[in-house]
Amino acid sequence: MKKQIHVRVNGLETELEVEPRMTLLEVVREQLGLTGAKLGCDIQVCGACTLLLNGKPVSACSVLAVDADGGDVLTIEGLAGQGSLHPLQEAFMEFGALQCGYCTSGFILTAKAMLEENPRPGEAEIRSYLAGNFCRCGCYQEIVQAIKRVAGR
Amino acid sequence: MKPFEYLEPTTVSEACALLKKGGAEARVFAGGALMTILMKEGLLQPKTLINIKRISGLKGIDFHPQEGLTIGALVTHHELETSKVIQERLPILREVEKEVANIRVRNVATVGGNLASGEPLTDLPQVFIALDARVKIASSGGERVILLEELYVDYYQTRLAEDEIITQVVVPPLPGRSGIEYIRFSSSSVVDKPCVGVATRVTLGPDRKTCESVRIVLGCVAPTPVRARKAEGLLAGKPLDPKLLEEAASLAAGECHPLSDLRGSEPYKRAVVGVLVKRAFPRAYERAQQG
Repeated sequence: MKKQIHVRVNGLETELEVEPRMTLLEVVREQLGLTGAKLGCDIQVCGACTLLLNGKPVSACSVLAVDADGGDVLTIEGLAGQGSLHPLQEAFMEFGALQCGYCTSGFILTAKAMLEENPRPGEAEIRSYLAGNFCRCGCYQEIVQAIKRVAGR
Repeated sequence: MKPFEYLEPTTVSEACALLKKGGAEARVFAGGALMTILMKEGLLQPKTLINIKRISGLKGIDFHPQEGLTIGALVTHHELETSKVIQERLPILREVEKEVANIRVRNVATVGGNLASGEPLTDLPQVFIALDARVKIASSGGERVILLEELYVDYYQTRLAEDEIITQVVVPPLPGRSGIEYIRFSSSSVVDKPCVGVATRVTLGPDRKTCESVRIVLGCVAPTPVRARKAEGLLAGKPLDPKLLEEAASLAAGECHPLSDLRGSEPYKRAVVGVLVKRAFPRAYERAQQG
């Protein structure tokens, strides 16, 4: 049986009808067409499906959409302002912090959440917070540099 | 994932009544970090999923001078990691939490879920057991309190009845002259489940030398967390010395039942247990001398 849920997605109040077994990732990608977050490992290890739920990074592949009822969801599509990219997006471009891009939305959203908790993290803190996001192209150096730039380090 | 009926009770008694009604086909759902994976894999196919996250009484971390630290079952790993009360009263938990899984898991997975899952490859149970922690358990018939170490039966099996829910963890206040240390060893990536986790706690006598009470709790090396009682017994009643510690470490290595797997062979894990006891216990002892 479908259930009505109400979530704020990228600032927009959104009513959705979902089956309880649907994940937040399925709903965001398939019902809302927001495909920036990707399905990777499907077991909360890789970080490709990261979304911010109430400001905190979660693995959307393993969060039930019904469980996000009443929550605030931010996807990579909601990050840029009107006509301007987010400083993290700018920095990722500047440092070439991606190749294929599959992991990028997860890295950027995780970094955003980290900077909100801790606006001036050192390199060790950045590495520790992002330890659960995998980049199989191996852009880790550039990713850390990009985040350090935004953190003013 | 197979379809299921999804319910959101708002009180503990309502949740227990729903569990009783649902019987073996019903499951408690808290953070969902483990449950969603098991359900996607088809390893669990509940007919009824009872999400307890809307029960406000299961949240929060408090300290009472008599009872000690109380941690609601719905407290997440990240809340433990960042809590001021924890930082003040039991900073070891903060250190433990920094290394648990990754930030996304720590944001959703709960303390109650971690303990109730019976998952052997985890960190909190051995630390809590070293602190003589108790769990409060609610059922449709009332409430009971048991020592956490009595909760575990076997791999993924606990003494929780079908209609029971862990509501709170209670960590009694540590006596003076006590110290604790936990060391987790990961044999692959830092975000992997631990290969071995050893928690040690000691309370010293008035001379600040004699070990009055000792806890050595071994995690990830048996179907359940294990107290190394022989090693504890050897150290209790004496001041610490290197030879004694060496002996206790090899006793502890013999008091577990590790499985050979991708995180290490059985003999390897036993060796790691010995090393971690030798590293962790002196630190707990030092802290106790300062405390």
